[in-house]
Amino acid sequence: MTVLRLSGLSKSFGAKQALLDVDLSMEEGEVLALLGPTGAGKTTTLRCIAGLEKPDRGSVHLDNRDVTATSPRERDVAVVFEGFNLLPTLSVFDNIAFPLRSPVYRRPEDEVRREVAQAAATLRIGHLLDRRIEQLSGGEKQRVAIARALVRRPRVYLLDEPLSALDLKLRESLQGEIKAMYQATGATVIYASHDYPSAAAIATRMALIEKGRILQCATIGEIIADPRHAAVGRLVGSPSMAQFPAHVTGQGIEIDGLPMRLPGPGEAGGSLLVGIWPEDIELTTRPTDGYAEGRVWATDFRGRDKAIEVRVGSQRFRKVVELDLQAQQGDPIWFRLPPGRVFHFDAATGERIDHGPTRRAA
Amino acid sequence: MSLHRQPILIPAIVIGIYMIYACGPLLWLVLSSLKDRQELFSWPPSLFFTPDLSGYRMVFGIGEAAETATALGLTDALINSVVISVSGTVLAVAFGTLAGYACSRFAFPGRDDFMFFALSTRMIPPVAVLVFYHVMFSRLGLSDTRTGLILVVTFINLGLATWIMKGFFDGVPEEIENIALVNGYTRLYAFWNLVLPMVRGGIAATAGFCFIFAWNEFAFSTILATTQAKTLPVKISSATGATGIEWAQICAAGVVLVIPVAIFFWLIRKYLLMGMTFGVLGRSRT
Repeated sequence: MTVLRLSGLSKSFGAKQALLDVDLSMEEGEVLALLGPTGAGKTTTLRCIAGLEKPDRGSVHLDNRDVTATSPRERDVAVVFEGFNLLPTLSVFDNIAFPLRSPVYRRPEDEVRREVAQAAATLRIGHLLDRRIEQLSGGEKQRVAIARALVRRPRVYLLDEPLSALDLKLRESLQGEIKAMYQATGATVIYASHDYPSAAAIATRMALIEKGRILQCATIGEIIADPRHAAVGRLVGSPSMAQFPAHVTGQGIEIDGLPMRLPGPGEAGGSLLVGIWPEDIELTTRPTDGYAEGRVWATDFRGRDKAIEVRVGSQRFRKVVELDLQAQQGDPIWFRLPPGRVFHFDAATGERIDHGPTRRAA
Repeated sequence: MSLHRQPILIPAIVIGIYMIYACGPLLWLVLSSLKDRQELFSWPPSLFFTPDLSGYRMVFGIGEAAETATALGLTDALINSVVISVSGTVLAVAFGTLAGYACSRFAFPGRDDFMFFALSTRMIPPVAVLVFYHVMFSRLGLSDTRTGLILVVTFINLGLATWIMKGFFDGVPEEIENIALVNGYTRLYAFWNLVLPMVRGGIAATAGFCFIFAWNEFAFSTILATTQAKTLPVKISSATGATGIEWAQICAAGVVLVIPVAIFFWLIRKYLLMGMTFGVLGRSRT
């Protein structure tokens, strides 16, 4: 059943177009990550869904009911904002109980106590219920905010970068808790984030947003197999897609500044962007025929593997490699882009210009 | 003298001189109000003398001192001043709080123009518009009434109250209302139960400023309140009668004029700085 549907949602703030024709729909129990850089329109999208912002055009449907013009209190969505979430004048208990005491969602007080205790137990903050807000750490505050969203069992949870202010360790443990929460309740969740790993860890589907437009909305597998836009490649993956400015000659596609020619259609003289997932780039440490020479510009050790950044002239890419690959900072390295694995994007608009999905090994 | 103490000395002298400059006249006023006629004119002014309360008796019309022709009888004016200042302050703070909230949270058309206009009500020299007030108030039957002066005092304070309160509301994160709205509460509930308690200090500071301006208001009151609704400052200024000046009485009246302001300042002292900075010392809006 479709729980949420956005059609043609547009919103501008003065001269800035915050959202442009956003279409999105969500099934019951789905967890959608809204992934995009800062200022892409994630928060505005969530605020339009919650009713805190009125769109200039377009509509919001919840449970097939048009709620575009209704106030936030009639929408039955819960929001965890980025940063400021708690009412400083209330205790932790009262903050979590807050929705259950409102005119719209009021429950008997003994039920409130039971629900609060249960939500607090899920998020392991049962010992904090008597505290005042200013006595909590950042992570505890976000747990309280999530617990408050949890007590009400709303139709849709809107989580706006709920973990971005926290340190890595806390973020990972809270990610687990958010996942456990929606798996237990079958909740429908939109999780806005600029961080691909945390979005990928939580979501069943991903909507990629940039400059107020949804570029693609699909499962992670589908996005990897068939990225619709160059910006999608830059947002997805860790590290993200390698992209090389290139131009079309009579003999095929030539990557600027590289002795590398790829088969490809198109008129001679056109320029384009060649993209490839770093996992598909083939590397070797010896000069090899058909491989281009680059230099290892940086290496990051990540425990069981390492990420290297390779540069050739103005071209560069990052890739995760085995620890035992003999490539130190400053070493030469040879690489190849297997022809079947590359994507072509329009240099100006970023749209995909080779048609149909490219196959990719699992 | 140790090296540590040395730097204290010069600031102490500077502050001491300033204290004498600032508090000297006030002390002189209080002492003079307690002196009899002979003591008053002795030079240099004496610090030790037998207090004489006849000035205060004349001011409040108590006992035989009140019988003298020059006794002011300030009780009525005092009541007028209290009623007008308190009512005007309450109204200005109440409406200023509502207007300040609206200007802080809603981007309605013409908001910035409105804010500028609101501030301009404080910049206009009263003398410039006095005549029109006088005509308007006579037509409306508001001349020489407390109601009329309450309106004037509310008017001159409303712009300032709006500005100060807007500053304080800007310091309260908008998320407070958003949290309430998405959890099933109305904006009115959020405003009244969540936001207002967070700006209590701001309300106190605003009330302080408004009360002081209202209490000291002189220009409008002189013209608009000629007999019945005369306020304390107007009444005292008119004390220079034909039969000579009762200095002790005037000094006593001055003390009476200072006391309410002093008490009010004392009560809200910790909020005053916040008010002067229009609340910008609080957290910025996120």
